[in-house]
Amino acid sequence: MFDLIREIGQTLKNNKLRTFLTGFAVAWGIFMLIILLGMARGVTNSFESNTNSIRSNTITVWGGNTSKPYKGYPEGRTINMRKDDREAILDDNENVSDAITSQYISNAVVSTSKDYFSAGLYGVYPKMQDMHRITMWKGRYINDNDLMQKRKTMVINKKNAELLFGDAEKAIGNTVNALGLSWTITGVYDDEWRDYNYIPYTTAKMLSGNNDRIYELQVVVEGLKTEKDGEEAEDAIRNTLSRKHEFAPDDKSATPMWNRFTSYLKNQEAFKILHIAIWLIGIFTLLSGIVGVSNIMFVSVRERTHEIGIRRAIGAKPRSILTQIVLESISITTLFGYIGIFFGMVVMQIISVVFADVEFLKDPTVDISIALKVTLVLILAGSLAGLFPAMKATKVKPVEALRDE
Amino acid sequence: MIIKLNNVNKTYPGAVPLHVLKDINLEIERGELVSIMGASGSGKSTLLNILGILDNYDTGDYYLDNVLIKNLSENRAAELRNHMIGFVFQSFNLISYKNAVENVALPLFYQGVSRRKRNALAMEQLERMGLADRAHHLPGELSGGQKQRVAIARSLITKPSIILADEPTGALDSNTSKDVIEVFRQLNADGMTIIIVTHDPSVGEKTNRIIRITDGRIL
Repeated sequence: MFDLIREIGQTLKNNKLRTFLTGFAVAWGIFMLIILLGMARGVTNSFESNTNSIRSNTITVWGGNTSKPYKGYPEGRTINMRKDDREAILDDNENVSDAITSQYISNAVVSTSKDYFSAGLYGVYPKMQDMHRITMWKGRYINDNDLMQKRKTMVINKKNAELLFGDAEKAIGNTVNALGLSWTITGVYDDEWRDYNYIPYTTAKMLSGNNDRIYELQVVVEGLKTEKDGEEAEDAIRNTLSRKHEFAPDDKSATPMWNRFTSYLKNQEAFKILHIAIWLIGIFTLLSGIVGVSNIMFVSVRERTHEIGIRRAIGAKPRSILTQIVLESISITTLFGYIGIFFGMVVMQIISVVFADVEFLKDPTVDISIALKVTLVLILAGSLAGLFPAMKATKVKPVEALRDE
Repeated sequence: MIIKLNNVNKTYPGAVPLHVLKDINLEIERGELVSIMGASGSGKSTLLNILGILDNYDTGDYYLDNVLIKNLSENRAAELRNHMIGFVFQSFNLISYKNAVENVALPLFYQGVSRRKRNALAMEQLERMGLADRAHHLPGELSGGQKQRVAIARSLITKPSIILADEPTGALDSNTSKDVIEVFRQLNADGMTIIIVTHDPSVGEKTNRIIRITDGRIL
């Protein structure tokens, strides 16, 4: 094998310009493939970080307006979700493992002496941290003591903390004003997509008139596998609520739902299609390089017909000639392909640094698995590019090849 | 007997088929130095190509060292060429980007002999041809006579049963031609069977037997 590599190396070295021109087309094709895959990865990462911000087996339910009359009630009736809806859903549906209620106080102005912003206050239970996949940057999330003592504590986004305090680290333990009250910041989280201001559920309830109405319900459903499972879980929850609130079981606008599981499946499908599209575009780009390699290998075989005749005359079997030409082609595509991969990765690293703050392009780099896949593509491409010229070379009779000058 | 041909015929197909070899019967003993002579288009090169398993024949039988050479696969033909036949061509047929020792060693590459061993064997052959000091020169850096001696060294490296030489002096001046023929005579004296195709009578008269071919028939 080492001998064969030397033999191929000698042939390629003997045809430097041809080898370079052939390889350049491949390097360019692979370079473009890496750039495309990297950009697709960046967009995908960005989407995934956004869509993964809530557990994927969650259905969010909130009150809406009925769209049809039912049992003497007119259409357009407002359905207000209540705290006991949670228990009803848990009792009726075996596959519902948990449900978390929340309150929402809109249009609150949150301020310090330095600055202010206008936003809603989200009254939550501690479980919401897991539900929203909140990673604390500093401090802590809402806890049980906050709930029990109806504390005026608040957890805010890092960007808002910087706005209010200049330095986000200074926010912890400090106070802000909202709704005419003073709130202590217990935690700061870092999330580029979400900027909720979390407060204890009990405090929010107290400020909302201390009734049982809730803003929304996050229902956790287990055992979901298919889109149909997700739709059935949604229907089951709606059935429970339709009985309790007396609206038509098929009236989707009475209690709108955001089924994260079906969205998740659809997103996965979309990502899959995006990946396939990128690979197809990349491979078609590469294909132009491969056609170039194949053409040049045809020319190379034609130019070397006499040499092939000499080799055949002194004992080269057709298989040896075929192997040599295919391996020459693979060597060119792999060598220059790796040059393309290298430059592609360097450019993607530069892009990832330059566009670090761009939300739609998160970490647009390619990892080792993509490099391995591209290597496989290169070897296949090289084999394919060399195969037809090689087959042509083996079909030439030695006596005819020797006559060729 | 190393070569035996019984009623061998060869026709090139075409609008007007060309019957180039007609009922060729030929026997060559081991250790002979034979020349095949004939005018251009007489069929001597076609005969040499058939003897060298570079081309097929249509009818008859050809035995090389008691092996029937008929309807062989390309792989088997390559194997027999590699092990049993050494070729020397008019235009030397050396690979331009390989130096002398690499050219000489090339047939052993196809036998899977290691690089070190085949280069050592190639050096031995080059020394035998008096070309040890030119071993690392490319063909373009050698004279015609030196190139032909490199080609002869290459033909000998696999220790073949016969050497087939097609107009080996055709591209050389008269003095160099004499040197090359002397090399063949020396090899023959060592027991090698050599068949030389030539149209040069001075080459023919240096061989032990002249086979004359005219219009596809041996006279």
